[in-house]
Amino acid sequence: MKTTLLFAATLMAGAAFMAEPAKADGHAPVCGLNTGTAATGDPIKVGGINGNAPPGDFSGGTDGAAAYFDCVNANGGVNGRPIEYIVENDQWNPELAGQVATKLVKDENVVALVGNGSVVEMAVNAPLYASEDVMVMASGCAISECYESSHIVSTNQGPLPSGIGALKFAIEELGATNAACIGFNIPNNGGWACDWMNEYMESKGLQGTSILMDPTAVDLNSVYLQALAEGVDTILLMLPAGPAIGLLKVAEEQGGRDLFKWVSPTPLYEPGVGEILGEYWSENLYINIELNEFDSEGADNQNWAKVVEAYGQDGDRQDTFSQSGYISAKFFVDALLKLDPATIDRPTVTKAIQGIVGAESDLLCKPYYVGEADRHMPNHAGRMVVFKDGGFELVRDCYDIDTNYLDPIRAQEAALGLK
Amino acid sequence: MLKVYGLFLVSGLAVGSLYALAGIGLVILRRSTGFLNFAYGALAAAAAMVAWQVADWGAWGPIAWLSALLTGVILSVAYGRIIAPSLAWREPAVKAVATLGYMLILLGVMGLLWDDELRKLSLPTDKMATTLLGVRVTVTRMIALGLSVAAVIAMILYLDRSRMGLNMRALADDRDHAALLGIPIVRVETIAWCISGALAGVTGLLFGSLVRLEPTVITFMVIPATAAAIVGRLNSLPMTLLGGLLIGVVEAMLTLYKPLAPLRAMTPFVIAGLVILWMQRGTNLTFATKD
Repeated sequence: MKTTLLFAATLMAGAAFMAEPAKADGHAPVCGLNTGTAATGDPIKVGGINGNAPPGDFSGGTDGAAAYFDCVNANGGVNGRPIEYIVENDQWNPELAGQVATKLVKDENVVALVGNGSVVEMAVNAPLYASEDVMVMASGCAISECYESSHIVSTNQGPLPSGIGALKFAIEELGATNAACIGFNIPNNGGWACDWMNEYMESKGLQGTSILMDPTAVDLNSVYLQALAEGVDTILLMLPAGPAIGLLKVAEEQGGRDLFKWVSPTPLYEPGVGEILGEYWSENLYINIELNEFDSEGADNQNWAKVVEAYGQDGDRQDTFSQSGYISAKFFVDALLKLDPATIDRPTVTKAIQGIVGAESDLLCKPYYVGEADRHMPNHAGRMVVFKDGGFELVRDCYDIDTNYLDPIRAQEAALGLK
Repeated sequence: MLKVYGLFLVSGLAVGSLYALAGIGLVILRRSTGFLNFAYGALAAAAAMVAWQVADWGAWGPIAWLSALLTGVILSVAYGRIIAPSLAWREPAVKAVATLGYMLILLGVMGLLWDDELRKLSLPTDKMATTLLGVRVTVTRMIALGLSVAAVIAMILYLDRSRMGLNMRALADDRDHAALLGIPIVRVETIAWCISGALAGVTGLLFGSLVRLEPTVITFMVIPATAAAIVGRLNSLPMTLLGGLLIGVVEAMLTLYKPLAPLRAMTPFVIAGLVILWMQRGTNLTFATKD
């Protein structure tokens, strides 16, 4: 048995009371047609690609989507047709990412891909998805190609909006005037996001600087010291949870908590962070969250918890990506339910997905939409929590960001009649 | 400005001592068995993960630390006794590449056993610190530096003064002749794998506590460690120590020069490359035992 399960169980039982996913209230989850009867028709093939190998597990999106699809299949399917969900792992390998996408799109002839989460596959496969006219309703995106491609639309915000959301809070509530964006030295990830952080700070008449590090950097102490040498007053941890925690540990070692305002995008909002960080950081670390709190009372969040409890697999991740995968799958099924089941194929599904406008969920701050465009970023409004007493406490509810990066997105929203 | 340099110097020495410690483990093994062990970082990673696991099961701290040491030794000796003998007469490059395979196996097993969850490996010495040139230096970091210096001194004395050390040196000079002289090759090599594995275990424990408890990150620590070993020409322990410290300090200092700061990760490669170029000016081949 995987030791992770023991670890996860310990954490769940421990102090992460506010980060703990909402508990199912005993009622059955609500999925699709909710007939209570299993679908037996001709399966609809849907693909999903995650990246699950060292150095990171991005499988939460496909886990959440798989649980929802299983629930839908047990409840009438898509007007009688079950979803056959084929999930592949790119293992953070660009060559493999290309192979599995080709397999799904060309060999399996999937009608769409849902729940994708990866740092690799979107950069490799965006041209394939466009040329084959197949839509990807992703859930775990972290690179620019994911948000700047015609056939990929992600439910999660990714580092750019979430990071700017964190900075906006730091400026308005914590008095930040000079921020360092510490990110990975990957052009379409840390470089991309931190460049826009700096642009955002400049647009506010403030100062911003990028501190980019190699993903396997060992001397986090020097990264921290560089921020110190830059004379910044705020540190934005544009990093996955592991290295971000490494940096916080170095800062703790150096007594750096009170020297800076500490903010982060979503990755640090994860069950278990409380136990790792400890009391030192309580009320001193602010995190922007891209979807709703794990324990929120909203109907979709409650249903997500029930779905993953009833239909999830042992070892499934229950994180923001899982919420994102669940809601991507739900929007996907809702779109397909409007189609004549006999006509469901890739062209009709692509059109149905592109036709999604104004889909609402308590997991998101604003309506979700797709439309036909050369880029997509429907989720750019989030919430802010503070790390407190081993858990998280909401300090600002839904708010949007204001950055020039969103100009084309705003134009799309205006054209679709969304504000 | 001097204070800023001091900050980065101390910071670099702290990381460099870890590189040096790992490099010393590599050199000791290379000198005795001819193996440049690219799986060294994976051994350290496995040791750190086992220590975390044992601690997570509620074991007393010293038991967890001991488990790291034992893991390093067991995994190292397992390779030394099971796989290495069949490669004993192969070229050094073949031996080195074979350890890459072992590294991938260990990395895969670790990925299977421990998912990508957040973990922390804490040592009591993490909380104890003193301030040096404006940098708060924890006792764990001081242990890393002290241990690498102590390892160099101890190994030099061991190799120079003990019978086993003499045997190791004889093996390093000429394996064929050593065998003919009746030196118990298997026993000597097993001890070398054991010492190297123990150092990997300790390095992993310190690395997991000081840097990050992530198997991949610890595994690839073998790159700067190898660079440090190359500075020591895969032979000299004091030079390896200096090489590790130099890499750590240069890497840290580059932080101050913004155009190069994002490229600091290349420091071990550049330093190792320069040293190889310097060594290649003559007829010596870096990875060969004979000219």
